Amino acid sequence: MIETHHLSKVYSRGLYALRDLTLAIEKAEFVFLTGPSGAGKSTFLRLLLLQERPSEGEVFVNGQNLATLNRREIQEYRRGIGFIFQDFKLIPSRTVLENISFVPEVLGVPAAQQRRRAFQVLKWVGLQHRMNAYPNDLSGGEQQRIAIARALVNDPVLVIADEPTGNLDPDLSLEIMNLLREINAGGTTVLVATHDRELIRLVGRRTITLDQGKIVEVA
Amino acid sequence: MRSVEYAFRQGGASLWRSRGSSAFAVLAIALALIVLGALLIVTWNAEQLLARWSSAAEFSVYLRDDATSEQRSGIETAIDQSGLSEGREFVSKAEALTRFRREFAELAELTSGFDENPFPASIEVRVRPGADHEAAEGLVKRLIATPGVADARYDRDWLTRVGAGLGTIRAAGVGLALLMGVAAAVTVATVVRLGLRARREELEIMELVGAPLAFIRGPFVAEGFLQGGIGALFAITALWVGFLVAMAWWGGDLNSLLGGSVQFLPIRLCLYLVLGGMLVGSAGGLVAARDAA
Repeated sequence: MIETHHLSKVYSRGLYALRDLTLAIEKAEFVFLTGPSGAGKSTFLRLLLLQERPSEGEVFVNGQNLATLNRREIQEYRRGIGFIFQDFKLIPSRTVLENISFVPEVLGVPAAQQRRRAFQVLKWVGLQHRMNAYPNDLSGGEQQRIAIARALVNDPVLVIADEPTGNLDPDLSLEIMNLLREINAGGTTVLVATHDRELIRLVGRRTITLDQGKIVEVA
Repeated sequence: MRSVEYAFRQGGASLWRSRGSSAFAVLAIALALIVLGALLIVTWNAEQLLARWSSAAEFSVYLRDDATSEQRSGIETAIDQSGLSEGREFVSKAEALTRFRREFAELAELTSGFDENPFPASIEVRVRPGADHEAAEGLVKRLIATPGVADARYDRDWLTRVGAGLGTIRAAGVGLALLMGVAAAVTVATVVRLGLRARREELEIMELVGAPLAFIRGPFVAEGFLQGGIGALFAITALWVGFLVAMAWWGGDLNSLLGGSVQFLPIRLCLYLVLGGMLVGSAGGLVAARDAA
Protein backbone atom coordinates (compact mmCIF):
# COMPACT_ATOMS: atom_id res chain seq x y z
CA MET A 1 0.00 0.00 0.00
CA ILE A 2 2.74 2.44 1.04
CA GLU A 3 6.36 2.10 -0.03
CA THR A 4 9.20 4.54 0.42
CA HIS A 5 12.67 4.25 -1.07
CA HIS A 6 15.55 6.22 0.46
CA LEU A 7 13.13 8.98 1.38
CA SER A 8 14.65 12.15 2.82
CA LYS A 9 13.31 15.55 3.67
CA VAL A 10 15.76 18.37 4.28
CA TYR A 11 14.69 21.74 5.62
CA SER A 12 16.75 24.89 5.45
CA ARG A 13 20.29 24.93 6.88
CA GLY A 14 20.70 21.25 6.02
CA LEU A 15 18.42 20.02 8.81
CA TYR A 16 17.14 16.51 8.03
CA ALA A 17 13.54 15.85 9.14
CA LEU A 18 13.69 12.42 7.48
CA ARG A 19 16.84 10.62 6.36
CA ASP A 20 17.04 7.68 3.95
CA LEU A 21 13.73 6.14 4.99
CA THR A 22 12.86 2.85 3.30
CA LEU A 23 9.75 1.07 4.50
CA ALA A 24 6.65 -0.79 3.32
CA ILE A 25 3.14 -0.90 4.75
CA GLU A 26 0.80 -3.57 3.41
CA LYS A 27 -2.76 -3.07 2.29
CA ALA A 28 -5.28 -3.37 5.19
CA GLU A 29 -2.44 -3.16 7.72
CA PHE A 30 -2.67 -1.13 10.96
CA VAL A 31 0.68 0.49 11.69
CA PHE A 32 1.89 2.81 14.42
CA LEU A 33 4.56 5.38 13.69
CA THR A 34 6.19 6.48 16.91
CA GLY A 35 9.19 8.30 18.27
CA PRO A 36 10.00 11.41 20.29
CA SER A 37 8.98 14.91 19.25
CA GLY A 38 10.96 15.98 16.17
CA ALA A 39 11.56 12.37 15.10
CA GLY A 40 9.93 13.06 11.72
CA LYS A 41 6.50 11.40 12.21
CA SER A 42 4.44 14.42 11.13
CA THR A 43 6.81 15.16 8.24
CA PHE A 44 6.30 11.62 6.97
CA LEU A 45 2.51 12.05 7.12
CA ARG A 46 2.74 15.43 5.39
CA LEU A 47 4.70 13.79 2.58
CA LEU A 48 2.01 11.13 2.27
CA LEU A 49 -0.69 13.83 2.09
CA LEU A 50 1.41 15.70 -0.50
CA GLN A 51 1.46 18.78 1.69
CA GLU A 52 5.20 18.67 1.16
CA ARG A 53 7.53 17.16 -1.42
CA PRO A 54 10.47 14.89 -0.62
CA SER A 55 14.00 16.27 -0.99
CA GLU A 56 15.29 12.86 -2.05
CA GLY A 57 13.86 9.39 -2.64
CA GLU A 58 10.40 8.23 -3.65
CA VAL A 59 7.01 7.51 -2.12
CA PHE A 60 4.61 5.04 -3.71
CA VAL A 61 0.99 4.72 -2.55
CA ASN A 62 -1.14 2.06 -4.22
CA GLY A 63 1.61 1.76 -6.84
CA GLN A 64 1.51 5.49 -7.71
CA ASN A 65 4.73 7.47 -7.49
CA LEU A 66 3.56 10.61 -5.68
CA ALA A 67 6.31 12.72 -7.26
CA THR A 68 4.77 12.29 -10.71
CA LEU A 69 1.24 13.44 -9.85
CA ASN A 70 -0.07 16.66 -11.37
CA ARG A 71 -2.56 18.95 -9.63
CA ARG A 72 -5.65 17.07 -10.82
CA GLU A 73 -4.11 13.69 -9.96
CA ILE A 74 -3.21 14.98 -6.48
CA GLN A 75 -6.88 15.90 -5.94
CA GLU A 76 -7.91 12.45 -7.12
CA TYR A 77 -5.30 10.77 -4.89
CA ARG A 78 -6.37 12.73 -1.80
CA ARG A 79 -9.99 11.67 -2.29
CA GLY A 80 -8.90 8.15 -1.38
CA ILE A 81 -7.32 9.21 1.92
CA GLY A 82 -8.97 10.01 5.24
CA PHE A 83 -7.05 12.19 7.68
CA ILE A 84 -7.37 12.79 11.41
CA PHE A 85 -5.43 15.44 13.33
CA GLN A 86 -4.70 16.06 16.99
CA ASP A 87 -6.53 19.41 16.86
CA PHE A 88 -9.53 17.86 15.04
CA LYS A 89 -9.67 20.62 12.37
CA LEU A 90 -13.44 20.92 12.47
CA ILE A 91 -15.15 24.01 11.06
CA PRO A 92 -16.66 25.85 14.03
CA SER A 93 -19.33 27.65 11.99
CA ARG A 94 -20.83 24.40 10.71
CA THR A 95 -22.91 21.83 12.56
CA VAL A 96 -21.64 18.33 13.19
CA LEU A 97 -23.58 16.93 10.23
CA GLU A 98 -22.42 19.79 7.99
CA ASN A 99 -18.79 19.20 9.02
CA ILE A 100 -19.10 15.67 7.72
CA SER A 101 -21.31 16.27 4.67
CA PHE A 102 -18.95 19.10 3.68
CA VAL A 103 -16.49 16.52 2.28
CA PRO A 104 -18.86 14.87 -0.22
CA GLU A 105 -20.33 18.32 -0.91
CA VAL A 106 -17.03 19.76 -2.16
CA LEU A 107 -16.48 16.59 -4.17
CA GLY A 108 -19.72 17.28 -6.02
CA VAL A 109 -21.86 14.48 -4.53
CA PRO A 110 -25.63 15.22 -4.78
CA ALA A 111 -27.14 16.80 -1.63
CA ALA A 112 -29.41 13.92 -0.58
CA GLN A 113 -26.55 11.43 -0.92
CA GLN A 114 -24.20 13.73 1.07
CA ARG A 115 -26.54 13.86 4.04
CA ARG A 116 -27.38 10.14 3.93
CA ARG A 117 -23.71 9.14 3.89
CA ALA A 118 -22.82 11.71 6.57
CA PHE A 119 -25.58 10.41 8.82
CA GLN A 120 -24.41 6.81 8.32
CA VAL A 121 -20.87 7.52 9.51
CA LEU A 122 -22.14 9.76 12.29
CA LYS A 123 -24.29 6.87 13.49
CA TRP A 124 -21.27 4.59 13.21
CA VAL A 125 -19.26 6.78 15.62
CA GLY A 126 -22.34 6.98 17.88
CA LEU A 127 -23.00 10.70 17.68
CA GLN A 128 -26.14 10.88 15.55
CA HIS A 129 -27.95 12.58 18.45
CA ARG A 130 -25.46 15.50 18.23
CA MET A 131 -25.86 16.06 14.49
CA ASN A 132 -27.18 19.62 14.90
CA ALA A 133 -24.64 20.66 17.55
CA TYR A 134 -21.64 22.85 16.77
CA PRO A 135 -18.08 21.56 17.35
CA ASN A 136 -17.44 23.98 20.21
CA ASP A 137 -20.40 22.46 22.10
CA LEU A 138 -18.77 19.01 22.06
CA SER A 139 -16.15 17.39 24.28
CA GLY A 140 -12.67 16.61 22.93
CA GLY A 141 -13.53 12.92 22.53
CA GLU A 142 -16.73 13.76 20.67
CA GLN A 143 -14.90 16.20 18.40
CA GLN A 144 -12.34 13.53 17.52
CA ARG A 145 -15.11 11.04 16.75
CA ILE A 146 -16.60 13.65 14.39
CA ALA A 147 -13.18 14.03 12.77
CA ILE A 148 -13.03 10.24 12.35
CA ALA A 149 -16.51 10.25 10.83
CA ARG A 150 -15.40 12.94 8.41
CA ALA A 151 -12.32 10.89 7.50
CA LEU A 152 -14.54 7.90 6.70
CA VAL A 153 -17.35 9.58 4.84
CA ASN A 154 -15.57 9.22 1.52
CA ASP A 155 -14.77 5.48 1.97
CA PRO A 156 -10.99 5.95 1.96
CA VAL A 157 -8.52 3.15 1.26
CA LEU A 158 -6.03 4.74 3.66
CA VAL A 159 -6.60 6.58 6.94
CA ILE A 160 -3.78 8.73 8.27
CA ALA A 161 -3.97 9.93 11.87
CA ASP A 162 -1.49 12.39 13.36
CA GLU A 163 -1.53 12.17 17.17
CA PRO A 164 -5.28 11.53 17.17
CA THR A 165 -5.36 11.03 20.93
CA GLY A 166 -2.94 13.81 21.84
CA ASN A 167 -5.67 15.95 23.41
CA LEU A 168 -7.64 13.12 25.02
CA ASP A 169 -7.52 11.27 28.34
CA PRO A 170 -6.51 7.54 28.38
CA ASP A 171 -10.08 6.18 28.33
CA LEU A 172 -11.12 8.36 25.41
CA SER A 173 -7.84 7.55 23.67
CA LEU A 174 -8.60 3.84 23.83
CA GLU A 175 -12.12 4.49 22.58
CA ILE A 176 -10.69 6.34 19.55
CA MET A 177 -8.20 3.52 18.95
CA ASN A 178 -11.02 0.99 19.02
CA LEU A 179 -12.81 2.97 16.31
CA LEU A 180 -9.63 2.99 14.22
CA ARG A 181 -9.28 -0.78 14.75
CA GLU A 182 -12.85 -1.26 13.51
CA ILE A 183 -12.06 0.83 10.44
CA ASN A 184 -9.04 -1.34 9.82
CA ALA A 185 -11.08 -4.50 10.27
CA GLY A 186 -13.15 -3.35 7.29
CA GLY A 187 -10.03 -3.53 5.07
CA THR A 188 -8.84 0.07 5.29
CA THR A 189 -5.12 0.66 5.81
CA VAL A 190 -4.56 2.73 8.97
CA LEU A 191 -1.38 4.62 9.80
CA VAL A 192 -1.28 6.30 13.21
CA ALA A 193 1.49 8.62 14.38
CA THR A 194 1.65 8.77 18.17
CA HIS A 195 4.20 9.03 20.95
CA ASP A 196 1.85 7.30 23.42
CA ARG A 197 3.77 4.08 24.15
CA GLU A 198 1.09 2.79 26.52
CA LEU A 199 -1.59 3.08 23.83
CA ILE A 200 0.62 1.24 21.34
CA ARG A 201 1.12 -1.53 23.89
CA LEU A 202 -2.62 -1.81 24.50
CA VAL A 203 -3.54 -1.93 20.80
CA GLY A 204 -0.60 -4.15 19.94
CA ARG A 205 0.10 -3.60 16.23
CA ARG A 206 3.24 -3.27 14.08
CA THR A 207 5.17 -0.22 15.19
CA ILE A 208 7.81 1.73 13.31
CA THR A 209 9.95 3.86 15.59
CA LEU A 210 11.69 6.94 14.22
CA ASP A 211 14.39 9.01 15.82
CA GLN A 212 16.06 12.01 14.23
CA GLY A 213 14.43 11.13 10.91
CA LYS A 214 15.68 7.53 10.79
CA ILE A 215 14.00 4.20 11.45
CA VAL A 216 15.47 2.88 14.67
CA GLU A 217 13.12 -0.02 15.33
CA VAL A 218 10.34 -2.04 13.68
CA ALA A 219 8.42 -4.20 16.13
CA MET B 1 -23.14 23.43 -12.07
CA ARG B 2 -22.94 22.20 -8.48
CA SER B 3 -19.67 24.09 -8.05
CA VAL B 4 -21.35 27.34 -9.23
CA GLU B 5 -24.27 26.82 -6.86
CA TYR B 6 -21.82 26.03 -4.04
CA ALA B 7 -19.68 29.07 -4.89
CA PHE B 8 -22.62 31.48 -4.76
CA ARG B 9 -24.07 29.94 -1.58
CA GLN B 10 -20.70 30.16 0.21
CA GLY B 11 -19.81 33.52 -1.36
CA GLY B 12 -23.15 34.99 -0.28
CA ALA B 13 -22.74 33.61 3.25
CA SER B 14 -19.24 35.06 3.48
CA LEU B 15 -20.47 38.41 2.19
CA TRP B 16 -23.10 38.47 4.94
CA ARG B 17 -20.63 37.38 7.64
CA SER B 18 -18.16 40.13 6.71
CA ARG B 19 -20.78 42.72 5.79
CA GLY B 20 -18.91 45.50 7.59
CA SER B 21 -15.71 45.20 5.57
CA SER B 22 -17.62 44.19 2.43
CA ALA B 23 -19.39 47.56 2.60
CA PHE B 24 -16.04 49.24 1.81
CA ALA B 25 -15.58 47.13 -1.30
CA VAL B 26 -19.17 47.78 -2.39
CA LEU B 27 -18.66 51.52 -1.81
CA ALA B 28 -15.40 51.54 -3.81
CA ILE B 29 -17.10 49.86 -6.78
CA ALA B 30 -20.14 52.14 -6.45
CA LEU B 31 -17.92 55.26 -6.49
CA ALA B 32 -16.03 54.10 -9.59
CA LEU B 33 -19.30 53.39 -11.38
CA ILE B 34 -20.91 56.67 -10.27
CA VAL B 35 -18.01 58.56 -11.90
CA LEU B 36 -18.29 56.47 -15.04
CA GLY B 37 -22.10 56.63 -15.04
CA ALA B 38 -22.18 60.42 -14.59
CA LEU B 39 -19.80 60.83 -17.52
CA LEU B 40 -21.89 58.45 -19.56
CA ILE B 41 -25.04 60.49 -18.85
CA VAL B 42 -23.29 63.68 -20.01
CA THR B 43 -21.66 62.19 -23.09
CA TRP B 44 -24.69 60.09 -24.05
CA ASN B 45 -27.01 63.11 -23.93
CA ALA B 46 -24.43 65.20 -25.80
CA GLU B 47 -24.22 62.50 -28.48
CA GLN B 48 -28.00 62.47 -28.82
CA LEU B 49 -27.92 66.24 -29.20
CA LEU B 50 -25.14 66.08 -31.79
CA ALA B 51 -27.08 63.44 -33.69
CA ARG B 52 -30.14 65.73 -33.74
CA TRP B 53 -28.03 68.65 -34.87
CA SER B 54 -26.28 66.54 -37.46
CA SER B 55 -29.59 65.42 -38.91
CA ALA B 56 -30.64 69.07 -39.11
CA ALA B 57 -27.40 70.15 -40.84
CA GLU B 58 -27.49 72.57 -43.70
CA PHE B 59 -25.09 74.38 -45.97
CA SER B 60 -25.23 77.79 -47.65
CA VAL B 61 -24.04 78.65 -51.14
CA TYR B 62 -23.27 82.40 -51.42
CA LEU B 63 -23.69 83.83 -54.91
CA ARG B 64 -21.58 86.47 -56.55
CA ASP B 65 -23.41 89.78 -57.06
CA ASP B 66 -22.87 89.38 -60.78
CA ALA B 67 -24.16 85.81 -60.95
CA THR B 68 -26.58 85.32 -63.81
CA SER B 69 -29.93 83.58 -63.51
CA GLU B 70 -28.54 80.75 -65.73
CA GLN B 71 -25.63 80.27 -63.33
CA ARG B 72 -28.03 80.22 -60.35
CA SER B 73 -30.23 77.73 -62.15
CA GLY B 74 -27.19 75.52 -62.85
CA ILE B 75 -26.21 75.61 -59.18
CA GLU B 76 -29.73 74.65 -58.07
CA THR B 77 -29.81 71.80 -60.58
CA ALA B 78 -26.48 70.48 -59.27
CA ILE B 79 -27.88 70.58 -55.71
CA ASP B 80 -31.12 68.82 -56.67
CA GLN B 81 -29.38 66.11 -58.69
CA SER B 82 -26.91 65.30 -55.90
CA GLY B 83 -29.63 63.47 -53.94
CA LEU B 84 -28.27 65.04 -50.73
CA SER B 85 -30.78 67.82 -50.40
CA GLU B 86 -34.06 67.63 -48.55
CA GLY B 87 -34.99 71.14 -49.61
CA ARG B 88 -33.48 74.47 -50.57
CA GLU B 89 -34.41 78.12 -50.26
CA PHE B 90 -33.14 81.09 -52.25
CA VAL B 91 -32.35 84.11 -50.03
CA SER B 92 -32.03 87.31 -52.02
CA LYS B 93 -29.65 90.14 -51.07
CA ALA B 94 -32.61 92.18 -49.75
CA GLU B 95 -33.88 89.25 -47.64
CA ALA B 96 -30.40 88.67 -46.26
CA LEU B 97 -30.23 92.33 -45.16
CA THR B 98 -33.69 92.14 -43.59
CA ARG B 99 -32.74 88.98 -41.71
CA PHE B 100 -29.58 90.59 -40.37
CA ARG B 101 -31.47 93.63 -39.14
CA ARG B 102 -34.07 91.40 -37.52
CA GLU B 103 -31.70 88.92 -35.87
CA PHE B 104 -29.03 91.46 -34.84
CA ALA B 105 -31.22 94.43 -34.01
CA GLU B 106 -28.50 96.09 -31.92
CA LEU B 107 -26.17 96.11 -34.96
CA ALA B 108 -28.85 97.25 -37.40
CA GLU B 109 -27.55 100.82 -37.41
CA LEU B 110 -24.27 99.67 -38.96
CA THR B 111 -26.05 98.70 -42.18
CA SER B 112 -27.60 102.15 -42.68
CA GLY B 113 -24.21 103.63 -43.53
CA PHE B 114 -23.65 101.44 -46.61
CA ASP B 115 -24.31 102.82 -50.10
CA GLU B 116 -25.01 99.33 -51.32
CA ASN B 117 -26.39 96.22 -49.65
CA PRO B 118 -23.23 94.27 -48.61
CA PHE B 119 -24.99 90.95 -48.04
CA PRO B 120 -24.77 88.35 -50.82
CA ALA B 121 -27.69 86.36 -52.11
CA SER B 122 -27.51 82.71 -51.14
CA ILE B 123 -29.08 79.31 -51.51
CA GLU B 124 -29.68 77.55 -48.16
CA VAL B 125 -29.74 73.78 -48.48
CA ARG B 126 -31.11 71.39 -45.84
CA VAL B 127 -29.12 68.16 -45.93
CA ARG B 128 -31.27 65.05 -46.12
CA PRO B 129 -31.27 63.19 -42.72
CA GLY B 130 -28.94 60.21 -42.89
CA ALA B 131 -27.09 61.64 -45.86
CA ASP B 132 -23.39 60.88 -46.17
CA HIS B 133 -21.65 63.93 -44.73
CA GLU B 134 -18.49 63.32 -46.74
CA ALA B 135 -20.57 63.36 -49.93
CA ALA B 136 -22.15 66.64 -48.77
CA GLU B 137 -18.69 68.07 -48.15
CA GLY B 138 -17.67 66.96 -51.67
CA LEU B 139 -20.71 68.69 -53.14
CA VAL B 140 -19.88 71.92 -51.29
CA LYS B 141 -16.30 71.81 -52.63
CA ARG B 142 -17.59 71.28 -56.18
CA LEU B 143 -20.07 74.16 -55.79
CA ILE B 144 -17.33 76.55 -54.66
CA ALA B 145 -15.62 75.99 -58.02
CA THR B 146 -18.87 76.58 -59.95
CA PRO B 147 -19.22 79.88 -61.87
CA GLY B 148 -21.42 82.39 -60.05
CA VAL B 149 -20.54 81.08 -56.57
CA ALA B 150 -18.65 83.40 -54.19
CA ASP B 151 -18.37 80.90 -51.33
CA ALA B 152 -20.08 77.94 -49.72
CA ARG B 153 -20.15 76.94 -46.03
CA TYR B 154 -21.08 73.62 -44.57
CA ASP B 155 -21.80 73.91 -40.82
CA ARG B 156 -20.46 70.45 -40.12
CA ASP B 157 -17.00 71.52 -39.03
CA TRP B 158 -18.04 72.69 -35.59
CA LEU B 159 -20.10 69.52 -35.09
CA THR B 160 -16.96 67.51 -35.84
CA ARG B 161 -14.98 69.61 -33.36
CA VAL B 162 -17.65 69.20 -30.65
CA GLY B 163 -17.73 65.46 -31.41
CA ALA B 164 -13.95 65.25 -31.05
CA GLY B 165 -14.15 67.21 -27.78
CA LEU B 166 -16.76 64.79 -26.50
CA GLY B 167 -14.53 61.89 -27.49
CA THR B 168 -11.71 63.39 -25.42
CA ILE B 169 -14.01 63.87 -22.43
CA ARG B 170 -15.25 60.30 -22.80
CA ALA B 171 -11.71 58.90 -23.05
CA ALA B 172 -10.64 60.87 -19.96
CA GLY B 173 -13.72 59.65 -18.12
CA VAL B 174 -13.12 56.04 -19.10
CA GLY B 175 -9.48 56.41 -18.03
CA LEU B 176 -10.52 57.80 -14.65
CA ALA B 177 -13.18 55.11 -14.23
CA LEU B 178 -10.61 52.43 -15.13
CA LEU B 179 -8.24 53.76 -12.48
CA MET B 180 -11.05 53.78 -9.94
CA GLY B 181 -12.06 50.33 -11.15
CA VAL B 182 -8.57 49.01 -10.44
CA ALA B 183 -8.67 50.64 -6.99
CA ALA B 184 -12.08 49.04 -6.41
CA ALA B 185 -10.76 45.62 -7.52
CA VAL B 186 -7.84 45.99 -5.09
CA THR B 187 -10.30 46.85 -2.29
CA VAL B 188 -12.42 43.80 -3.17
CA ALA B 189 -9.30 41.60 -3.20
CA THR B 190 -8.25 42.91 0.23
CA VAL B 191 -11.69 42.37 1.74
CA VAL B 192 -12.05 38.90 0.21
CA ARG B 193 -8.54 38.04 1.42
CA LEU B 194 -9.60 38.92 4.99
CA GLY B 195 -12.42 36.40 4.70
CA LEU B 196 -9.99 33.90 3.24
CA ARG B 197 -7.71 34.17 6.29
CA ALA B 198 -10.69 33.55 8.56
CA ARG B 199 -11.47 30.39 6.58
CA ARG B 200 -7.88 29.16 6.30
CA GLU B 201 -8.62 25.92 8.18
CA GLU B 202 -11.68 25.17 6.07
CA LEU B 203 -9.61 25.69 2.93
CA GLU B 204 -6.88 23.40 4.23
CA ILE B 205 -9.48 20.68 4.79
CA MET B 206 -10.88 21.25 1.31
CA GLU B 207 -7.43 20.81 -0.18
CA LEU B 208 -6.78 17.70 1.88
CA VAL B 209 -9.99 16.00 0.80
CA GLY B 210 -9.12 16.71 -2.84
CA ALA B 211 -11.76 19.34 -3.54
CA PRO B 212 -11.56 20.70 -7.10
CA LEU B 213 -10.17 24.23 -7.55
CA ALA B 214 -13.63 25.45 -8.60
CA PHE B 215 -14.93 24.59 -5.12
CA ILE B 216 -11.93 26.14 -3.34
CA ARG B 217 -11.61 29.37 -5.32
CA GLY B 218 -15.17 29.70 -6.60
CA PRO B 219 -16.72 31.15 -3.42
CA PHE B 220 -14.18 34.00 -3.36
CA VAL B 221 -14.81 34.88 -7.00
CA ALA B 222 -18.56 34.70 -6.33
CA GLU B 223 -18.15 36.97 -3.29
CA GLY B 224 -16.35 39.58 -5.43
CA PHE B 225 -18.96 39.17 -8.15
CA LEU B 226 -21.77 39.82 -5.65
CA GLN B 227 -19.94 42.82 -4.16
CA GLY B 228 -19.52 44.22 -7.68
CA GLY B 229 -23.17 43.65 -8.56
CA ILE B 230 -24.42 45.27 -5.35
CA GLY B 231 -22.00 48.18 -5.83
CA ALA B 232 -23.27 48.68 -9.40
CA LEU B 233 -26.90 48.65 -8.28
CA PHE B 234 -26.07 51.23 -5.59
CA ALA B 235 -24.29 53.34 -8.21
CA ILE B 236 -27.25 53.24 -10.62
CA THR B 237 -29.68 54.09 -7.82
CA ALA B 238 -27.47 57.02 -6.72
CA LEU B 239 -27.16 58.23 -10.33
CA TRP B 240 -30.92 57.98 -10.81
CA VAL B 241 -31.64 59.95 -7.63
CA GLY B 242 -28.96 62.51 -8.57
CA PHE B 243 -30.45 62.79 -12.06
CA LEU B 244 -33.97 63.36 -10.70
CA VAL B 245 -32.70 66.05 -8.30
CA ALA B 246 -30.69 67.75 -11.06
CA MET B 247 -33.65 67.69 -13.41
CA ALA B 248 -35.96 69.07 -10.72
CA TRP B 249 -33.61 72.03 -10.25
CA TRP B 250 -32.23 72.69 -13.71
CA GLY B 251 -34.29 70.44 -16.00
CA GLY B 252 -36.29 73.27 -17.61
CA ASP B 253 -33.21 75.40 -18.36
CA LEU B 254 -31.24 72.44 -19.69
CA ASN B 255 -34.05 71.23 -21.92
CA SER B 256 -34.60 74.65 -23.48
CA LEU B 257 -30.84 75.22 -23.85
CA LEU B 258 -30.28 71.92 -25.60
CA GLY B 259 -33.49 71.92 -27.57
CA GLY B 260 -34.60 68.51 -26.34
CA SER B 261 -35.22 66.61 -23.13
CA VAL B 262 -32.20 65.43 -21.13
CA GLN B 263 -32.52 61.72 -20.43
CA PHE B 264 -31.16 59.14 -18.00
CA LEU B 265 -28.98 56.31 -19.29
CA PRO B 266 -30.80 53.74 -21.43
CA ILE B 267 -31.34 50.25 -19.95
CA ARG B 268 -28.57 48.85 -22.18
CA LEU B 269 -25.93 51.15 -20.64
CA CYS B 270 -27.27 50.48 -17.12
CA LEU B 271 -26.82 46.75 -17.77
CA TYR B 272 -23.28 47.39 -18.99
CA LEU B 273 -22.56 49.26 -15.75
CA VAL B 274 -23.87 46.33 -13.67
CA LEU B 275 -21.82 43.90 -15.76
CA GLY B 276 -18.77 46.15 -15.35
CA GLY B 277 -19.23 46.17 -11.58
CA MET B 278 -19.55 42.40 -11.52
CA LEU B 279 -16.43 42.03 -13.67
CA VAL B 280 -14.40 44.35 -11.42
CA GLY B 281 -15.63 42.49 -8.33
CA SER B 282 -14.92 39.08 -9.86
CA ALA B 283 -11.42 40.21 -10.85
CA GLY B 284 -10.74 41.29 -7.25
CA GLY B 285 -12.18 38.01 -5.95
CA LEU B 286 -10.08 35.99 -8.40
CA VAL B 287 -6.87 37.77 -7.34
CA ALA B 288 -7.65 36.96 -3.69
CA ALA B 289 -8.73 33.39 -4.52
CA ARG B 290 -5.28 32.62 -5.93
CA ASP B 291 -4.06 32.68 -2.33
CA ALA B 292 -6.61 30.01 -1.38
CA ALA B 293 -4.98 27.11 -3.22
